[in-house]
Amino acid sequence: MEERHLTVDQEPPQEAAEVVNRREVRLEPGAEEKLVLQFMDSLNSYLSFSHSLSSTLGQAWMELASARHSMGTARLNTSLLDLKFHPASTTLKITECDDDAKARFVLRKWVSPEEVGEDEDSNSTKSSVPADDDDEAVRRERAKSLSVFGILIPPKLRAAQQSFERALETLVEMANMQSSFLNSFHQLHQEVEDNKE
Amino acid sequence: MANRAQIPTKSSALIAMIADENGKGYKNYEDTVVGFLLAGVGNVDIRRKTNYLIVDSKTTVKQIEDAFKEFTTREDIAIVLISQYVANMIRFLVDSYNKPVPAILEIPSKDHPYDPAHDSVLSRVKYLFSTESVASGRR
Repeated sequence: MEERHLTVDQEPPQEAAEVVNRREVRLEPGAEEKLVLQFMDSLNSYLSFSHSLSSTLGQAWMELASARHSMGTARLNTSLLDLKFHPASTTLKITECDDDAKARFVLRKWVSPEEVGEDEDSNSTKSSVPADDDDEAVRRERAKSLSVFGILIPPKLRAAQQSFERALETLVEMANMQSSFLNSFHQLHQEVEDNKE
Repeated sequence: MANRAQIPTKSSALIAMIADENGKGYKNYEDTVVGFLLAGVGNVDIRRKTNYLIVDSKTTVKQIEDAFKEFTTREDIAIVLISQYVANMIRFLVDSYNKPVPAILEIPSKDHPYDPAHDSVLSRVKYLFSTESVASGRR
């Protein structure tokens, strides 16, 4: 009530608290610029990762085609895929960032069925939990995935597997950047809508 | 902030795929799906339902729509990979999707490179660069 009677020259101390309260409903100018920067950074990273993905997939397709050339079409096609019940070895962990409501994805590669229930370090900022290549369980899971296409696996098929794993890592980075720029976008959009009212 | 979607946290979620056949003529290979299955993302549940759909010449638009709707409503899926060529067939459905999880990522296929201009998510935020929309909110 007291706010309507105030002039520009006179601002009693208690008005400062009410001004602060009004501002809490909207973003402060500094926070807005920060959001715009976050939006632009995330979007730029997303586009960079998508270029990288195209390059990685191109290499992966080439290696797969080379493997098919040496193995023969009959030994490398979707009719051989395992349609019996089996869980995925490579999964994702979804967490929510504490500072803002955006999803964060973490890739977990070659997790054996026994390890599925184990909780990963939730404070990790990495997008991928690296699979220890020396770990017996990781080697076993990788080999199990390749064994769908036979016992004798050519080097190109193993190389293709590695390339598609790299592509997965890039995709998870893209998902995190997408989550970030969408979050910034929604906040900025809300600010624009509030300013219109 | 109003209307913030709840982020469902999960320790073990899947990556789903809707990818098209690559190659021309009668020799068509599903390299994208085969490749990602080699990387270990394939999941078959107890009812023999998979987390991927291979789109070939016999696949109808309805089947693609049903797969997209199923993957985006399943609670155990975190990311849906969809070839941009296939996404173009159900563009209206992809455009109308706006949940944070699962995230939708449009990917290139062998015969159809990725074009950011057609990406639904990028199109949604493109208007932020329009001078009209930004200037109108600044008084």
